[in-house]
Amino acid sequence: MSAGDFLTLDHVSKVYRRNQGFLERLKKTDAGGTRAVSDVSLTVRHGETVGLVGESGCGKSTLARLVSGLMAPTSGEISFRKDAAGKAPRLQMIFQDPYSSLNGRWTIEDIIAEPIKVHRLRQGKAAIRARVDELLVQVGLSPADAEKYPQEFSGGQRQRICIARALAGEPEFLILDEPTSALDVSVQAQILNLLRDLQKNLHLTSLFITHNLSVVRIMADRIGVMYLGELVEEAPSEELFRRPRHPYTRLLIDAAPDMDTSDRSLHPIAGELPNPAFPPSGCRFHTRCPFAKDICRNTVPPQKTTEADGLYRCHFDLDLSNASIVPPSANVKTA
Amino acid sequence: MTTPLLDVRDLTVTINRDAGVVTALDKVSFFVNPGEVLGIVGESGAGKSITGAAIIDLLVAPLKRTGGTITLAGERLDTLSPKAMRAVRGGRIGFIFQDPMTSLNPVITIGRQLCDTIEAHLKTGGDKAKKMALEWIERVGLPNPDVQFKRYPHQLSGGMRQRIVIALALCANPALVIADEPTTALDVSVQAHILQLMRDLHRESKTSMMLITHDLGVIAKMADRVAVLYAGRVAEISPVGELFNAPRHPYTRGLIRATPMPFANGEVRLDQIPGAMPGLGKTPPGCAFNPRCFKVEGDCRAAVPPLTSRESSAFSCFHPLEKEIA
Repeated sequence: MSAGDFLTLDHVSKVYRRNQGFLERLKKTDAGGTRAVSDVSLTVRHGETVGLVGESGCGKSTLARLVSGLMAPTSGEISFRKDAAGKAPRLQMIFQDPYSSLNGRWTIEDIIAEPIKVHRLRQGKAAIRARVDELLVQVGLSPADAEKYPQEFSGGQRQRICIARALAGEPEFLILDEPTSALDVSVQAQILNLLRDLQKNLHLTSLFITHNLSVVRIMADRIGVMYLGELVEEAPSEELFRRPRHPYTRLLIDAAPDMDTSDRSLHPIAGELPNPAFPPSGCRFHTRCPFAKDICRNTVPPQKTTEADGLYRCHFDLDLSNASIVPPSANVKTA
Repeated sequence: MTTPLLDVRDLTVTINRDAGVVTALDKVSFFVNPGEVLGIVGESGAGKSITGAAIIDLLVAPLKRTGGTITLAGERLDTLSPKAMRAVRGGRIGFIFQDPMTSLNPVITIGRQLCDTIEAHLKTGGDKAKKMALEWIERVGLPNPDVQFKRYPHQLSGGMRQRIVIALALCANPALVIADEPTTALDVSVQAHILQLMRDLHRESKTSMMLITHDLGVIAKMADRVAVLYAGRVAEISPVGELFNAPRHPYTRGLIRATPMPFANGEVRLDQIPGAMPGLGKTPPGCAFNPRCFKVEGDCRAAVPPLTSRESSAFSCFHPLEKEIA
């Protein structure tokens, strides 16, 4: 671990075991299971926001749980930078659904004060209340809201409360798992802007997980793209969009419809997402990749590094900076 | 001037609550031309889905249609008997819902479900219906129709299920298809497939479509004209190019600028609309958007702006954006 590194993941894997039948347990056979996260190595530097994107079943939320310590990895190591006293940094999470992540029987003050009390960050009722008020103002709510209950607030306001609660623990590291996916566009913009301001002002290090490439581009300094449990590419945000190295990244960028009404072509990715429990052999993307050759079917691609401080897992060194490079694959009809 | 296929005028839907009657849709008017895709866009609670459900009379109490007319190809739908309406649903109007798992019957094979629809609406049966069902399975892009015919919904992936829902919506040759968030439950890579399929089938059959979605990207790629709903009212109706390049209603522009896009060159900070859409029954007096609008003036708080047509657009705003601004 070098000086600037805040968090490192070293060949981390997580296997969800299938329930075994009685006989299988007696015979102690290996039931196998779903490799939700497979051999992921990643470094988050101090003060940096790393985004993780991918479709459902790619393992991004599992990775968030592993990093937060809610689950232990099956293999590999997750290590945080320790301070002088040998203590790991404080971390907090912000979840997708602001309706189920707040206790409806607690007032906003109770909710936001809890991390302060647990971590003994302020002493005395008055000091805690003053801190709650300060946090409410910081996330764009008013101190008068402290007396209210979560159900009196809209989705966007609830997510602000979740952010205030996370900040109350004075975290050095923040994990955000789809924090705006449940929100409407106009409210999402408010929350994204708020999060950006907080990141800048509080010098937070964070992991931002989403399925939306456009959102992660705004929020993250570096972006990791996951596919079926593997980190297939990781690069600085601008570089990832300017010159993606993995075909999946290129196709994922093109697949999301943009607001350009002059070019109405659609760009589906061939085939469907395979069952994560039975990932394809070799390169996991080969079943859908327009560049796939024999080697992709048989050999797991090595992890390569780029001069622009990125890494990718592909047998080939493709120039994918232009969308038109992607050949229309056989079973994709073009518009 | 073409005669619209579907003409909706002053559609009003109310919700009866203990505390009183709340308006969910307030005099919504729009039309769909033959062969056209009309996009209906808005945030949650704007009344998009209620609009779709009201047209096919699928509103569930306490929602109730209390006013307005709905005309499909010259025939009034709002005065039809429930029995006659049942023949329209799935027959002349097909629909595609968001969640393909709940819109298919889990205990009936997909082949049987297709045959049921074909038999009910096309008055054919037996082998002929089966043949048509197999053709539809193939047309929506599922391999081995014979095998798929005998499968149950749970044996298909989300994308395949949505393909079957599309086949069900189209198999009776409807004049109009109402698609309510057809790709929202799907991943991006699958979404593009389904949109492509809908576009191909639409081009082949010339069926008119009402595409309800919150996703401006989907609207930009699929719609010919777009109606923007806000708090149960129509804010703006414009041809798709004009909507994105020269929106007239301040809300439309706000919505477009608040949407993150992958190639927003260097523009990192999103424009945000302050506040949130008013909840049901909490619509402010005057224009519903006035508390969040940057162009608000006294008259916006006094009266509800009527839907006014100008050039190719129609909008409900006293102080619309000038064409050259956006």
